[in-house]
This record gives sequence, C-alpha cells and structure tokens, in this order.
Amino acid sequence: MRQAGTYSGLLSGGLSGRTGPHSLPLARIKKIMKKSGDDVKMISGEAPILFSKACELFIEELTQRSWMMTIQGKRRTLHKEDVASAVMATDILDFLVNLVSNSSHSMDNPVEVETIATSKS
Amino acid sequence: MDDKQDQLLPIANVGRVMKQRLPPTARVSKEAKQRMQECATEFISFVTGEASSKCRTENRKTVNGDDVCWALSSLGFDDYADAIVRYLHKYREAEKANQKKATDTDKVNKDEESSHTGSQAVQQQTDQIPEPTLEFRLWNLDLLAQKIKAFDSLYQPPASD
Repeated sequence: MRQAGTYSGLLSGGLSGRTGPHSLPLARIKKIMKKSGDDVKMISGEAPILFSKACELFIEELTQRSWMMTIQGKRRTLHKEDVASAVMATDILDFLVNLVSNSSHSMDNPVEVETIATSKS
Repeated sequence: MDDKQDQLLPIANVGRVMKQRLPPTARVSKEAKQRMQECATEFISFVTGEASSKCRTENRKTVNGDDVCWALSSLGFDDYADAIVRYLHKYREAEKANQKKATDTDKVNKDEESSHTGSQAVQQQTDQIPEPTLEFRLWNLDLLAQKIKAFDSLYQPPASD
C-alpha cells in the first residue's frame, strides 16, 4: 500500500505518535499470548509488536466509550461501571460481557468510597 | 497476588494509554484501570486464540503478524486490522532496512534469507522472519475490498465470466 491515506496519521502522529518504543511491554504480551491456549506453540517476533499497537487502539476506544458513559452520568471520574456499560453497548465487545459483569474481584482494595448512582434503572 | 498481576498488562502502562484519550481534568478510578487491564488482556487472549486456530487449520506452528491481522478482521475489529496491516508493513520494511545495514559490512546482501542480527531483542524465540510477499500485499487489497463490500449493500459479487 503506497498511498498515504487515512492511516498514515494514525501511524506517525495520530494516536501514540511513535512507532519506535512500544507503549506496552512485549515480553508480557508474549506471555499472555502463550497462556491463551495450549496450541499456541510459537510466536513470531512481530506478533507482540502488532498486539502492542492493537491493544493501544483497543484501550483507547474502550476508554472513549466508557468516558461517554461517565459524562452521561454527569461525573468526572471514570468508574469500572462505566467500562461495563460501554462493553454492554458494543457488539464486538461481547467477549468481555462475562468479565465485566463478574463483580467478585479477587483484586481487593475497596478504594472507591463514593457509590455510583447509575441513571439506568 | 503478584502472580495475578504478572498475567495482566501492567496497570501503569494501561493507565497511561487511557489518559491519552481523556481530557486533562478527567479522573480514572483505580478499579476502572484494573478493569481495563483485564479487558485488554482478555482482548489479547481472544484474538490470539482465533489466530492460533487458523494456524492449526493450516498446519502451521508459528502465529505470525498476518495471522494476527486476519484474526482482528475476523472478529469484527476491522478498523484495527486496517491500521495494523499498515503498521506491519512499515515494521517489516524497517526491519529489512536494519538487517541490510547490519549484514552489509561482511556479507553480500541476500534479500531472501537475511540473518537475524538486527532485532534480537524482539525475536527471542522466532521461527523465521516473514517477508512482505506478494501474497501479503494482495491480501491487503482483499481486506480493503471486504470492507467496501460490507458497506456497499448494492455490491454484487462478480459473476464468473
């Protein structure tokens, strides 16, 4: 693909602004890939690099969608419920439905003091 | 507990990426970052599963960049697939240029099988270095065509003339 089209901005200056250092650690990505299934035997060097970019796009999109939920609730702090709402509202994020509705976190730390009054009843 | 953290993307990195998309005054709760951590990790597993499934069907052992691009598209992440395909192409070009520089000094440049001197840091257990083949380029075009097809409801597949 030679023409500098919509995506050249994406690659050079749009989102992360760099193609050099990666925003997510490659070794960790590789580890996650390996754990995803028994049949994942070998992974080429470029795959974690692509995932680093893809995850960045994913996190940005999900963040943006979640933030829209935050704003709808007239708040300025993005809460995990906003992430859950964004997942529910997006078809391609169906694979996350169980993950976000599972409220029994093994992560302790009840950091949040305020309760969220969701506008949905 | 540290074990679990080890299996997810680092929360600091995730938080940083989140901030890129939010206004400066926005705040993010720690639990929201944790949730995002988990979602992004699951995203990797999900897409890898699809990519590896394809490899298994085609009797290949190594999940490569093309498989990741294909899996993204197959699972509905068309926009990512497009961007990633271009990113992959750029990466391969850069890699070729790097390797050419590295091998130029003592070897005659071999375009086909270049030695893996360049990017050792990223290719710890690599099987091979894939090259931007004609097949890949045609597949790029094919991806674009699929996108057009999806949007254009009037499109009719060409009859076999």
